Amino acid sequence: MMEFISSTFTSYVALVPVTLSQSFILAFVVMGIMIPFRTLQFPDLTSEGAYPLGGCVCGVLIAAGVNPALAIVAALACGFLAGCCTALIHLRFRIHTLLAGILMMTMLYSINLRIMGKSNLSIFGSDTVYNWAPFVTPGFPVSKIIIAGLIGAGVFLALNWFFKTEKGTALRAVGSNPAMAEAQGISVWVSTIIGVGLASGFSATSGALMVQAQGFADVNMGLGILINGLAALMIGEAVVGKQSVWRQLLAPFVGAIIYYQLVSLCLAAGMPPPDLKLATGLFVLAMLALPSLKRGRGAGGTPAREKFRE
Amino acid sequence: MLEVRSARKVFYAGQADEKIALDNLDLTLQTGEFGVVIGSNGAGKSTMLNAVSGALPLDSGQIAINGDDVTDTPVHKRAKRIARVFQDPMLGTAASMTVAENMLLADLRSTDRTLARGLNAKRLADYKDRLAALGLGLENRLDTKVELLSGGQRQSLSLIMAVGGSPDLLLLDEHTAALDPRTADLVMQATVRAVDTFKLTTLMVTHNMAHAVDYGHRVIMLDAGRVKLEIGGAEKANVTVAKLVDHFAVKTDAMMLGAGA
Repeated sequence: MMEFISSTFTSYVALVPVTLSQSFILAFVVMGIMIPFRTLQFPDLTSEGAYPLGGCVCGVLIAAGVNPALAIVAALACGFLAGCCTALIHLRFRIHTLLAGILMMTMLYSINLRIMGKSNLSIFGSDTVYNWAPFVTPGFPVSKIIIAGLIGAGVFLALNWFFKTEKGTALRAVGSNPAMAEAQGISVWVSTIIGVGLASGFSATSGALMVQAQGFADVNMGLGILINGLAALMIGEAVVGKQSVWRQLLAPFVGAIIYYQLVSLCLAAGMPPPDLKLATGLFVLAMLALPSLKRGRGAGGTPAREKFRE
Repeated sequence: MLEVRSARKVFYAGQADEKIALDNLDLTLQTGEFGVVIGSNGAGKSTMLNAVSGALPLDSGQIAINGDDVTDTPVHKRAKRIARVFQDPMLGTAASMTVAENMLLADLRSTDRTLARGLNAKRLADYKDRLAALGLGLENRLDTKVELLSGGQRQSLSLIMAVGGSPDLLLLDEHTAALDPRTADLVMQATVRAVDTFKLTTLMVTHNMAHAVDYGHRVIMLDAGRVKLEIGGAEKANVTVAKLVDHFAVKTDAMMLGAGA
């Protein structure tokens, strides 16, 4: 028993830097999930397609010799467009947000394949943004932590500023009460499209950063990313809360760090990787079920079926 | 000035349950005039208000504010000129945002939003002053989320938000109907004070006949989607609740005799 614990601990500690770099990169997906879910009340699944989209765009561009920073910007732009499409599908055709997201992510799979021309593309040995990290030898996880962390800090500060500006306050109002926002002169369409677009842009950025970190792009790299991100978001919100703008914005980062450490701990303890999705799914289910379990069955007269937001 | 010309709106057109909500309705409200709209359920009051605010497109007819045709202007663009207080206190405010943030949203209703900081010291001081006028203590709860306020407090906040910035037209949609009598009275007093102070062109829908008698320059009674009766000027000063209710009674009798069809 002692031996098991010590060997688990040793392999876990050895994984910490790699896991941490992964957390910082995937925090952008969590941000891309948080903004539609929490700020806009627009449950969105586009990230599952936008994340590999960013990866594929970035991979192809880097293979073509494009500047790696430029490749990330291009990935962000493509993700933004994908998010805009999801928002438009919902707004124009009155299709449920979740279905709009599923449609988009399904279509993106084909588009991603088209972009790459094959299902897997290696960019190993190409110049990446991580080679630009100051003070450290390129190729080590620390360089990834520094670069992804710096971009993350920039995004956090920028969003924290934006959501307190006049435009940012208007965007949050659309999530809080769309009818009221419209009566106050705010265009629900513009705010939703920009907000969901921005979120998918972050998911795509995450994919681009990941491709540069792992040295290859893969069309299947987004599989299950949404549930992972949702689990991370819930952990983050449980730890830092969501009462204020900055807490809500910090939650994705804190959640991503803790979640991937937990995953790494499970793997170090010998959990078979294929079981990971089941474990994550059960965890998210438990987090979602908790409020209703606390209330007790039947108490409060919960309706037989929740009404879907159109 | 508000002008509604030959406004027509039919629900379920061509179906068995076709309903003519607005039947070539004409209505003019002079600048600074306070009109009170009454009428039985289904008379077209809400439809008219929704048509004026832009929430409901007309089948035909025009709506003009201060002479500008706004018939095809979407809600969020009309909001530059129109402020509205809904019947449901939940509808008029953003629950998950703070009192100050809600004030800010209303404050920017008729201007273009910029990337400048929203809640600056000057605005916060201004909001404090405006909320203090209500006497509900809301001025000390600027950072409280609106979902923690009572229905009356939320509706009072909606009102302060609506009258700020002197809109060209103020729409009040039975805005005291969901409140207890004491709070309703408080909100009504605050309404009258604001309308008088800012000389607001106001259209108020109400089921409260006492309010229709006591407030406003003109009573407009709707029936079956058109204006059935208008009482203004000296006649308005002498009208009583009983007289107003009489008009409802006649209509009901007519309906019972089948003459209404």
